[in-house]
Amino acid sequence: MSDNKSLLTIKDVYASIEEKQIIKGFNLDIKPGEVHAIMGPNGAGKSTMGYVLSGREGYEVNSGTITFNGKDLLEMEIEERAAAGLFLAFQYPVEIPGVSNLEFLKASVDAIREANGEEPITSSELLKQAKEACKQVDLPLAFLKRGVNEGFSGGEKKRNELMQMLLLKPKLCILDETDSGLDIDALQMVAAGVNSQRSPERSFIVVTHYQRLLDYIKPDFVHVLADGKIVKSGDASLALELESQGYAWLETHKDEDNIEG
Amino acid sequence: MSEWLENAISRGQKIDDWLNPKRSRALELLSTTKWPTRKTEAWRYTPLRAIQSTKATQLEVVSELTPLAIADLSAIELVFKNGKLDKSALSDTLPTGLTVSLGSELAAQQQLQAIADFSEVKPDRHLFGLVNDALAQDVVIVNVEAGVKVEQPLRISSLLSQGAESHTRVQVSLGEGAELAVIEDVQAEGETLNTAFVEYFVSPKAHLEHYRFALQTGTNVSVGGCHFNMLDHSTMHSTIVAFGSDLSRLDTDIIHSGEFVDAKLNAIYLLDNNELFDLHATVEHAMPNGTTEENVRCIVGGRAKAVFNGRIHIHRDAQKTLAELNNRNLLVSKTAEINTKPELEIYADDVRCAHGATSAEVDKQALYYLQTRGINRAQANVILNFGFINELIDLMPNKVLAEWIRPIIRARFSAMKVN
Repeated sequence: MSDNKSLLTIKDVYASIEEKQIIKGFNLDIKPGEVHAIMGPNGAGKSTMGYVLSGREGYEVNSGTITFNGKDLLEMEIEERAAAGLFLAFQYPVEIPGVSNLEFLKASVDAIREANGEEPITSSELLKQAKEACKQVDLPLAFLKRGVNEGFSGGEKKRNELMQMLLLKPKLCILDETDSGLDIDALQMVAAGVNSQRSPERSFIVVTHYQRLLDYIKPDFVHVLADGKIVKSGDASLALELESQGYAWLETHKDEDNIEG
Repeated sequence: MSEWLENAISRGQKIDDWLNPKRSRALELLSTTKWPTRKTEAWRYTPLRAIQSTKATQLEVVSELTPLAIADLSAIELVFKNGKLDKSALSDTLPTGLTVSLGSELAAQQQLQAIADFSEVKPDRHLFGLVNDALAQDVVIVNVEAGVKVEQPLRISSLLSQGAESHTRVQVSLGEGAELAVIEDVQAEGETLNTAFVEYFVSPKAHLEHYRFALQTGTNVSVGGCHFNMLDHSTMHSTIVAFGSDLSRLDTDIIHSGEFVDAKLNAIYLLDNNELFDLHATVEHAMPNGTTEENVRCIVGGRAKAVFNGRIHIHRDAQKTLAELNNRNLLVSKTAEINTKPELEIYADDVRCAHGATSAEVDKQALYYLQTRGINRAQANVILNFGFINELIDLMPNKVLAEWIRPIIRARFSAMKVN
């Protein structure tokens, strides 16, 4: 299933939160440059998978392996995963009053550079890059001086996530329902931001409930997640199929499982 | 009674000057005052040992003391050196409408007024306020005429050399519609003792911007107060920034004596080592339609101890009062201590009043968020903790002061051991 060219290999992962089993045998293999969409109904474990990959406290991997860029991801601290090139764009980014966006970006960029043996970025260079990134995601420059996500609208928070992604240049971007709560203009803007970052070295996992984001970010693969595991995989056409049929059949499937269990 | 207080009283009795009526009154009150113990509510968490054992005494002026430079700040300097006003430091040409005088040198009529005003805002319950009444060396009277907006801030610095004891007193009056910014700061080297009290009379529609920096540390003992009497439609915005010392205590009283007063008080304190800082902030809503917003944030590390007592008293007639008191405390070491007590006393029925006090650790979600951006846990802790007080620095109206104090606070915070 995986080979040495894989960026991320998830093998038979079971994960739980507070002893509640959420992920139940998850398998996925991602090669550099690929865009994978993960779709599924609410409660299927879509966001959980992002948290597991990022290393969030309380998300326990009970069995299985995850290899990222040839290394055992599960052995790495949260910040080491970030330094290794993993980026999670949050569905609900946290607000941090009193810490300016720019200060935060500098700390983040410097931490990742330091972990990779590079010198800290100069303030002027960072400001230049941050301004460009803001422009690209249509975030007013004044937001650089504001507290991280403080008082930002839902859409502005998503843009801020994307802005960070542009600056940090990760190898793997996990977009956790980045489309939720966005109007069509914002959605297109987010998609354009993502598309601009597509490259042979960079992979994406696009987690979404709806197909519409995938009209703008064309995935190479679509996976349907239900009850903690991938139940169906295909190409972009699977998303369209799912859109027309709905998740209903998956819901039924899950119910049967529950009755059996 | 303590030996220290007896000694203070006997020194006070020897003073014979223009302020005699108020000094003798204070001495009389002091003679019947009990020395605070652990059972005295106002001093429960703040033992007075350091005062009793200090060797600081009143010294002659040491002229080489100079106020700490504040980059880019252009202020009218009022400098006390070991308690005596340094007249040479005061500019000869003050802005029109602003007068700064020694109480002892006022013309008869004005002096009578100064005597009448003296200690009218500051409540008598402050023991060391009474000590200051009795022992204040040079009493300075600052007056801003009605309608005058003074552009430059007035900086009141109290400088103490090693071993010195000082008692400074300033009375500030703002006429109707006047505007003034006042910066109070203390610099004390080594074993020192000071009481620094300022009374503010804020006339209708006047605006006072106020800062008090209590950054003295080590073996200094400081007990002081800022007391504000606010009349109709007057406004004030005060920021207190404090580190701690062997004993550092500040009492503030904001008195809504008129209607539609708007008062804001923000306090930041950062304590380390064995330091102690105690803020007792009292707000009296005596009249209707007043607004008070109070934010107190402290970070305590080492074996330091922070005390905060925030009392808001809404009198029976103070309808339509809006009062909010928020106190957030952060302990960064297991041996640090925080004692916080919000007290709301409400006798009016049509008011909105809220308070909250939390002794929080850093937000776990925020910590996780920073870590997912490559920042390690220790550094994320520093960033988050600093953000917590940075919010109040951002609210300082004077940006020059904000940018001066920010790196000082940052440096202190970085040196604190987070564990």
